[in-house]
Amino acid sequence: MLNRTADNVARATPEPLAKKIRGISDKGLAWLFISPTILLLLAINIFPLFWAIYLSFTNYRANRPNEVVKNLGFANYQRILGDQDIWIAMQTTAHFVFWTILLQTVIGFTLAWLIDRKFRGHAFWTTIILVPMMLSPAVVGNFWRFLYEPQIGLFSYVISFVTGIPPTNVQMLSNVELAPWSIIIVDTWMWTPYVMLICLAGLRSIPEYIYEAAEVDRASNWRQFWSITLPMALPFIMLAVLFRGIENFKMFDMVNLLTGGGPGSTTEVASITLKRQAFESWRTGYSSAFAIILFVAVFGLANIYVKALNKVKQR
Amino acid sequence: MADVHIQGVTKSFGDTVAVDDLDLAIKDGEFVVLLGPTGAGKTTTLRLIAGLERPDRGTIHIGGHDATTLSPAERDTAFVFQQYSLYPHLSVFDNLAFPLRSPARRFPEEAVRRRVEEVARMVRIDHKLDNRSTKLSGGEMQRVAIGRALVRKPAIYLMDEPLSSLDAKLRADLRLELKRIQSELGATMLYVTHDQIEAMTMADRIGILADGVLVQIGTPRTIYSEPANLHVAARLGQPAINLLPAGLLPDGGAPAGTTTIGARTEHLAIEKAANGHADGVVDWVEHLGDQNHLHVTVGAKKLVTLTDPDTLLGKGDRVTIRYRSPLYFGPDGQRLM
Repeated sequence: MLNRTADNVARATPEPLAKKIRGISDKGLAWLFISPTILLLLAINIFPLFWAIYLSFTNYRANRPNEVVKNLGFANYQRILGDQDIWIAMQTTAHFVFWTILLQTVIGFTLAWLIDRKFRGHAFWTTIILVPMMLSPAVVGNFWRFLYEPQIGLFSYVISFVTGIPPTNVQMLSNVELAPWSIIIVDTWMWTPYVMLICLAGLRSIPEYIYEAAEVDRASNWRQFWSITLPMALPFIMLAVLFRGIENFKMFDMVNLLTGGGPGSTTEVASITLKRQAFESWRTGYSSAFAIILFVAVFGLANIYVKALNKVKQR
Repeated sequence: MADVHIQGVTKSFGDTVAVDDLDLAIKDGEFVVLLGPTGAGKTTTLRLIAGLERPDRGTIHIGGHDATTLSPAERDTAFVFQQYSLYPHLSVFDNLAFPLRSPARRFPEEAVRRRVEEVARMVRIDHKLDNRSTKLSGGEMQRVAIGRALVRKPAIYLMDEPLSSLDAKLRADLRLELKRIQSELGATMLYVTHDQIEAMTMADRIGILADGVLVQIGTPRTIYSEPANLHVAARLGQPAINLLPAGLLPDGGAPAGTTTIGARTEHLAIEKAANGHADGVVDWVEHLGDQNHLHVTVGAKKLVTLTDPDTLLGKGDRVTIRYRSPLYFGPDGQRLM
């Protein structure tokens, strides 16, 4: 029965083509199927990467395609590593990464822990908490620009209501001191739910009977938290930190929408510097070198981190 | 160690009554085994005593104190769960030391070490104290779990089928070890199982649970030889007791009202038919090595009994069967005296 169906299908295929297909081995067929994906990957990922590596050794400028391209060797890299502005941008980035991760992990884990109490309506609150994460960053950025607006913004209004400072003095986006925090607040608002979700998965993976055993063993709630909950959820927390760390190291959209790197260059993170060099100054070769340095830095840090994560998991 | 009294305890989950009006008294130093099929309420009974569940009705006294509303930590019980409930990120040593390091106890670290090493030797895991608890075999994990209960000297040890997930050989070993440890410590222990061999070999008394009701409680010998009803009779004995309708075989001594006769191996005299008359035919003889199971057809019924390994009976042999003071049951399933 099955054989006959297969025969019919084979017969329905035009004879020359059928012959060809029958001649392909399983492995050949597999390659045939994945080749579009591989070609696409090569075209839009692998090739640009290698092209950027090539460009990073040249003085190429994308706005002057007819100029003769000169090979500069490692000159671009040397200039970047000696450039004071670049180092300031890296510090700004590190500052953002540190505070966003710290806030998102602490708040995210706390929320997850509360949701995991399984109180009445916890499913409803989970959904509510997840809303910011589901919005598009562009929407969130514009939306918060309104909230931060000194004259009409809700955020400024609430701050002035609580502190008594006139709302026009709460210049979140244009004050040198406050601007970095305005971005940290938005990023935390948007991505804490993501951290919470991962932490919640971790907390849910701890079996109930471990807690029951601890309870019979007379461990206080405090001790249960420190000796069971936290260590067993730690791999998940670390995973969330990894994801958010990589993501925020290249944070661009929110900064670009909210402050554009200003006031001055107080919120100019590495990716904003990169964009300015590449598409405002059109120093394509130079910015390629910078992009490669950033890539290597993130890749290296992530690798070290994953090793640490695996160590924790193996325990 | 202390005695435990459960009086009129009922616990329901939704519409299901897990434990129904249970009365149970466990004496100080006694080893009581609760035996019953899945869903009989054995585990719920343990959890009620440990305080992991609150009874809907009734009281629980531990060591003379009313513990009905106390939290698990206030009750002084030790629990061995059916799953290996080890703390996976801790070493064997730290798992065993966990109950001793409770801030409420304040044991000096040196005393903790001594006690842990002592218990580790007792459950024969002392060579793996530094191992991660996740890197142990199933038997080793369960030994650690048992050890973690033993490091303390609680009012009562509660064990929920601690051996059920182990292989047969290890189960037999640990069964003996547990019994030895219990009598060495003089520990009060309530042990739950659905394995009749564990119940028979370890218990001072066996309680038979069915559908949340304690059907009978007594020494293994009493439960075996004087079961209260058909349910209890069917739970013990290997091969299982033969339940035959009255009148199938000559049953001269049966009391009035007998409807079912329960016959184990020791209640049956089976011989090769000598002169024409026969009660049944041998179906086959099952060779188990040290013993044989004899399968006999009597009318529409089948009997299974033990027989000597060197029995002369064989397939197709016609046999006579006589009762030797069997168990008699009335129409309601209760045993008749």
